[in-house]
Amino acid sequence: MWLAVARGQRVSQAAHAIEARGLTRHFGPLVALHPLDLDVPCGSTLAVLGPNGAGKSTLLRLIAGLARPSAGTIHFGATGHEGPADDRMARRRRIGLIGHATFLYPALTARENLILAGRLWSVDDPEARATELLEEQDLRAAADRTVGGFSRGMAQRVAIARALVHDPAILLLDEPFTGLDPTAADRLTEQLAAARDGGRTAMLVTHDLSRAAALASRTLILHHGVARSLAPDALSCRESLDAAYREAIASPAPS
Amino acid sequence: MTTALLLVGCVAIWAFLAWDAPIDRYQGVIQKILYVHVPMAIGTYLGFVCTALGGALYLWKGDERWDRFALSSAEIGVLFAVLMLISGPIWAKGTWGKWWSWDLRLTVTLLLFFVYVAYLLLRSFTEGSERAARFAAVYGIAGIALIPLNYFAIKIAAGRSIHPENLGGDSLGAGMRWPFLMGMVAMVAVFAFLLVRRMEIGRLRAEQSRRRALAGREEAPWASS
Amino acid sequence: MKILWTLLWKDLLTEWRSRDRLVAMLVFALLVVVVLYFAAPPGQGDTAREHIPGLLWVAYVFTIVLGLSRSFGMELENEALSGLALAPVDRGWIFLGKAGANLALVLIMQAVTAFAFALAFDLNLWPIALPLAAVAFLGAVGLCSLGTLFSAMAVRTTNREMILPLLMLPLMVPVVLGAVQATRGLIAEGTVPFSALQLLLVTDGVFLIVSFLGFEYVLDE
Repeated sequence: MWLAVARGQRVSQAAHAIEARGLTRHFGPLVALHPLDLDVPCGSTLAVLGPNGAGKSTLLRLIAGLARPSAGTIHFGATGHEGPADDRMARRRRIGLIGHATFLYPALTARENLILAGRLWSVDDPEARATELLEEQDLRAAADRTVGGFSRGMAQRVAIARALVHDPAILLLDEPFTGLDPTAADRLTEQLAAARDGGRTAMLVTHDLSRAAALASRTLILHHGVARSLAPDALSCRESLDAAYREAIASPAPS
Repeated sequence: MTTALLLVGCVAIWAFLAWDAPIDRYQGVIQKILYVHVPMAIGTYLGFVCTALGGALYLWKGDERWDRFALSSAEIGVLFAVLMLISGPIWAKGTWGKWWSWDLRLTVTLLLFFVYVAYLLLRSFTEGSERAARFAAVYGIAGIALIPLNYFAIKIAAGRSIHPENLGGDSLGAGMRWPFLMGMVAMVAVFAFLLVRRMEIGRLRAEQSRRRALAGREEAPWASS
Repeated sequence: MKILWTLLWKDLLTEWRSRDRLVAMLVFALLVVVVLYFAAPPGQGDTAREHIPGLLWVAYVFTIVLGLSRSFGMELENEALSGLALAPVDRGWIFLGKAGANLALVLIMQAVTAFAFALAFDLNLWPIALPLAAVAFLGAVGLCSLGTLFSAMAVRTTNREMILPLLMLPLMVPVVLGAVQATRGLIAEGTVPFSALQLLLVTDGVFLIVSFLGFEYVLDE
């Protein structure tokens, strides 16, 4: 399944995995996201940066389908091996979200949480897939303990495994490094780099500019719910990204 | 201005006709509550049906105007229901000799009143206007499904009723029909007037809070992390 | 269908691991029975006995309202409900899974409460145990379906403990009426009046459809 995605995307380099037009979200009177046009090409990693409360998580939740846009549309480009691209079920099958919350049931063990996710996403052999992911996240020793007793970092590793259970074509990552120790954070960076090199599409919300510079091929800065893009060369190294970021958020808020 | 005049005119004619109407031979002057009570009952049901309808259309179309329509109808419906629940027992005490009777129509209406009070509470307890609107719409629709079920249920459970079954022209004495009909007309006019005004208030409130949020955002730039 | 079993497995396993909701429901139900006994001691006459089915259902309804108020508690920790909403699973299954788990807890509670009730009020319910269980089941289906829908709403409001009974109780009346009529028939004559059965089935159907359809709008943000 994974190879099919990669091949399909390589053929049509120009295709966009995510296309948002006029995407807007109000929370009551509060405008969390001003109308936003966004194209994420297949196989690219988009870093979404911005201060707290800038609308980054809102953007990811909208794209994941967890929140309804107040206005605007989101289209998911066809990856060539699944049904109608904009079908809600197809979208859910294609997206893996690592959110602020871990989405885990505290009373279930790490393994049970992963098996549950595997069954929900109709993975072929949920038990085997769970074992595989637990190995990958170095959680073998803790696999059969209930998640309620886990530290934030361990829970985050289970959450990462949960998001990857169905091998999603589009990864939405909302500060995925939260609570991870340096080893685990490096491992996640490696995994994301591998996913990118394999042709998967990702949107990465983070405050860690050096990891963003290392992983992303494009950047989007959100400030007061308004988006601006950075020139691609800003990504050449951490320092240039840092400078460009500071400049972008120093400018006054639009009315 | 003209609508206000029209409204006052309607209500004035209604009041005059009700005043002028003959006094009931058996019940005496208390029977004149009819001209208030029945229009209030109609207004109550109208309000609740509009609430469910507005909720359904809101879920379907996603237009927040339908939500304002539903909310306004619920508020007016509850207002009419309170007036009906006050006027009814007064009349009942005068004619049946007791304030309340657990008969079919009274019980269903009372339950419906509770449903829509809960509807308003649900709205005030829910944060985020869009979620409040969605939850309330679902509840409003569930509430309207209660009417036929309850009629069915209470018919089985309780049976007899002393509340008049229907109030067609025939059951009214001579000279009572016009004030009765005028009461209906005036009530519908009042209902429509309140509805329009309440929806306008809702629109202005939404507008105001939107502007305030925008203004506040400009004054206090968010600290960067 | 497999998804439904998966969701039920998840809910029941979680309930079994903590057990606090079931235990709380059982203790509460027994307390209500005790309170009802002292509030309305069963007399010798037939009129006093006539109220017994009503009292039983009062205990059921209050306990169900209490129990369902926590039914989405475990979904909110870590936003697990959002995690479910992300899955390519029809919302209807999520509703049925949750309602099914609630129903399972309620059925256990009903059985235990009926037993305690029989002891307290000196009733012999054994001869009618099976039809009584059927009536309790039909009542529980109606109460759990709307109750699950409303608790999904209530759990995301500011005053969740207060709003759930206010939302549930007025809409529960037709189910309660049907169930009480049916139970009364059973205790008095050993048969369920057809009209009560009819009412229970119709309300169950309507409530299931309304909650099934409404759940989609409650689940999404």
